[in-house]
Parts: sequence; C-alpha cells; structure tokens
Amino acid sequence: MSTASTGQAYNYKVVRQFVIATVVWGVIGMAMGVWIASQLVWPDMNLDLPWTTFGRLRPLHTSLVIFGFAGSAQFAASYYAVQRTCQVRLYSDWLAAFTFWGWQSVIVIMLVTLPLGYTTTKEYAEIEFSGAVWMTVVWVAYAIVFFTTVVQRKTQHIYVGNWFFGAFIVVIAMLHVVNHLSIPVDWFKSYPVYSGATDAMVQWWYGHNAVGFFLTTGFLGMMYYFVPKQVGRPVYSYRLSIVHFWALITLYIWAGPHHLHYTALPDWAQSLGMAMSLILLAPSWGGMINGMMTLSGAWHKLRTDPILRFLVLSLAFYGMSTFEGPMMAIKTVNALSHYTDWTIGHVHAGALGWVAMITFGSLYHMIPKVFGREQMYSVPLINLHFWLATIGTVLYIASMWVNGITQGLMWRAVNDDGTLTYSFVEALQASHPGFVVRFAGGVFFLGGMLLMAYNTWRTVRVADLKVAHSDAQIA
Amino acid sequence: MWEVIFNLATVICLYGAVEYCLRDPSGEALDEASLIPFADDPQVARRVELATGKQVKAVAPEEAKPGWGNVEV
Repeated sequence: MSTASTGQAYNYKVVRQFVIATVVWGVIGMAMGVWIASQLVWPDMNLDLPWTTFGRLRPLHTSLVIFGFAGSAQFAASYYAVQRTCQVRLYSDWLAAFTFWGWQSVIVIMLVTLPLGYTTTKEYAEIEFSGAVWMTVVWVAYAIVFFTTVVQRKTQHIYVGNWFFGAFIVVIAMLHVVNHLSIPVDWFKSYPVYSGATDAMVQWWYGHNAVGFFLTTGFLGMMYYFVPKQVGRPVYSYRLSIVHFWALITLYIWAGPHHLHYTALPDWAQSLGMAMSLILLAPSWGGMINGMMTLSGAWHKLRTDPILRFLVLSLAFYGMSTFEGPMMAIKTVNALSHYTDWTIGHVHAGALGWVAMITFGSLYHMIPKVFGREQMYSVPLINLHFWLATIGTVLYIASMWVNGITQGLMWRAVNDDGTLTYSFVEALQASHPGFVVRFAGGVFFLGGMLLMAYNTWRTVRVADLKVAHSDAQIA
Repeated sequence: MWEVIFNLATVICLYGAVEYCLRDPSGEALDEASLIPFADDPQVARRVELATGKQVKAVAPEEAKPGWGNVEV
C-alpha cells in the first residue's frame, strides 16, 4: 500500500446537519403516513377539519418523505461521498450551509402550505409557484457545491457513485423546472402553461422520473459508495457499473407514459412508455446484481452486521420492485392494476424496501464517522430496527397486492346483462381488512424509525470531538 | 425519416459514450478506480488489500488542525 499526504479536512458539519434532518423528517413524514393510513381504516381520524383531511395530508406525507427524508439523505450521502472519493473538502462552506438551511425552509414551506390547501395538484410537485422557485435556487446552489467539488478533486478518475449523484442533480433540475412552468396569479396560486393531455404527459414525465432520478439514481450513487465500504470489497464489476449508468439514464426518461395507459394520451406514446419500461428491467437488474455480487466472498458478514443486512435487503427490494414495475407497465396487466392499491403497494416496495432501507444502512454507516464514534450507541437496536422495517414492509406490500387485485377484479366484473356486478362501495368494503394490515405495517415501520431516532440521539449526545476532528482529515 | 435518423443518432451516441468510458489503455485504470472509496482510509485500505490482493493507493491522514472543527449541528 502506497501512501501520500494531501490537503485539508472534510466539511462534516453540513453532513451532520443533513443526517439529523433525515432522521427528523423521516419520523414526521412516516408518522404522517401512518396517520393517513389510519384515516382509511377509521374515517373519524380525518377529525372533521379541512387541514387534516386525507386529501391534504396525503401530499404532505409524500412531500415530507420524498423531499424531507429522502432528499436530506441524498444531500448527506452525496456531500459525504463526494468529499471522500475526490479527497478534497466540499466547495464553499457558506454555500453548503445555504443548501442545508435553504432545503429545510423548502420542507417547512410544504409543511405549512399543503395542509392549508395551497397546491398545484400535480403529484409529487404540489408546492406552489413561489416555493418551487425558491426550491430551484437551492438546487442550483447544490449543483454548484457538488460539481465544483468534483472539479477540484485530487483523484484522476471521478468515482462512478458521483456520476449517479451528478445525473440525479442535473435531471431533477430539468424535470422540476419544466413541470413547474406556470403562470402565477398570486404568491400561492399559479396555472400550468400546459393543458389537457400535454399537461398530463409533462406531469407524468416528471412524476415517473421523480421516482427514477430522485428515488433511484441518487440512491444508486449511495449504493455504489456505501455497499463496497461496508463490505470491505470493491464493487463487483466497475465496468458493469459504467454500463449500468449510461443505460439507466438513457432509458428511464422515456418510461413516464405508462402512468397514462388507456387515457387521452396517443396510443403510440402509451406503447412507447410500455416498451421502454420493459427494456428498463435490464439496467435495473444489472445494477442490482452488481451490488449483490459485491458481497462475493463476504456473505458471512451478513450474520453479524445489521448495517450490511439493511444494504443487501434494500438491493433485494430494488430488484423486486424494478421487476414488478415493468410488469405493471404492460398494458394488459395495467388494465387490472391501474387506479388500485396494487400501485400503492408497488410504490412502497420501492420507497420502504429500497429507498428507506438503503438510507438506514448508509446513515448507520455514516453517523458514527461524522460524530466521532466507533459505532452506533446500540448495535442490537439496529438489528431490531432491521426486523421491524422488514416486517412492516412485507405487511404493507402484501396487503396492497391483495387489495389491488381484489379491487381490479371487482371493478371489471360484469353481469350477463352488461351491468356492473359490484358497486364501488362493495369494493371499498372488501378492501377494509387490507387497510388494517397496511396500517399495522406502517406502525411497524414507524416503530423502527423511532428506534433509529433514539439510537442516533444517544450516539450524537456522546459524540467525541477529538475523534470527529481526526476522522474529518484527509482521511 | 427524420425520427429514424434521430433514433439511430441516439443509439450511436449511447454506444460511443459507453465505449469512451470503458476505454482502459493500461488495463488497470478501472480496477484502480473501483478502489477509490477505500483510498482515504489507510486502515480500511489495508484490510481490502489483504482480502482482494489489489493495491490501494491510499492517502495518509493529515495531522489534526488545532481548533478546527466541532460537532455542532
């Protein structure tokens, strides 16, 4: 092993801030999810108040977990990994701090405005015009910090994890700006410049790629850094990771029309979305296999390392949900699954199984390092969190599969005279047991998140200043 | 006609991008790149070297700068 001494200390302060924000928004966002799940079991949980109805809290739940929890996690992971793989301190402490406080203010804007009913009504893009403009400013600052750090790197090669983070930053900027193009009539009211089927297509071009780039590409960057680090082995095939990158970013952007099967969207566009979704299976599984095979020769570590279990299980769920997605994009399958709870189950297989699990694994890896501890306060608590999260995810997606197929079959059932066999309310009644199981799954998952918050609190409270200092050197 | 040309151009660009990124005249550059995550952590680098037999070009930790850093959030 040859060693050379270089430069300056890393900026871990902003990483610590985003790590804590991830845990905080995770607790609040998931608690909001459990609350709205309870509303579907017990309608009285709507509290007869306009601000707490399902229609207002559901977009708040998705906004908090996507932008608050997953967004903060990606800021933390990308800032941590880009410094360590480029062996250089993050560009501009001031601008990095601005991205933290700016991003948190965006989430607070969502937290206040969505329950008040200010919304664009566009899924995952509900934040109104002025908030969306502010979000763009913060995102541009993020891009400047990240890419300038890459430019100033001390290594010759840009590590592949940073390619994924970079694509995530660039494409999300493009999607956000195009989808939010609108004419403001007020600080908190605007109308999109698109109309009709075009508006729907732009929205689902954005919506699908919010999943593809906000909830996949950035997290693949996380996977390519934290899985090898935790295993103590380089990624299985670096060449495959390069092919994975180019194939994923080329194909994902075309799959949006599968959200608009059997609508006013031209049929050729629907078929294109279906075909591209099916092709997308190849790079998705290539990446999943590359991550899994990184454990070659080190599978025994799963017996004793709950952090590695989180990372590997997240890859298993990634493989499962990226198989399910293309299957659901086939028009004949979609005819059964669309508008049913199957879609909700599919989204949560990805959101809980992939996004949240890899975030938990990465945070448990990062927290001791950025707070100057040898390990988390309690490893058994990480293990308990792992099982609560796994049971919660399985309960959630299994109940939604059963509900989705039940609903799809009941809605399409017709009598001999052509009338519907079941009314909508009968399908809703048949779904009630599934709603109860889904609520229980959510409680399990939230319980695990609370354990993580406690474990993090106990770890942070006894953070060792001297160790944090020396770990932040380059190092 | 134009759509066929655009489609072909896209496929050719993708092929070119992948080929360009996979070029590795020395035959070692991509292997070395895969070891970057361990390079800033000599202790971990040593363990990876033992496990894989590959050499990690590690960077030695710098001396702590007095007064720098804190654990505030």
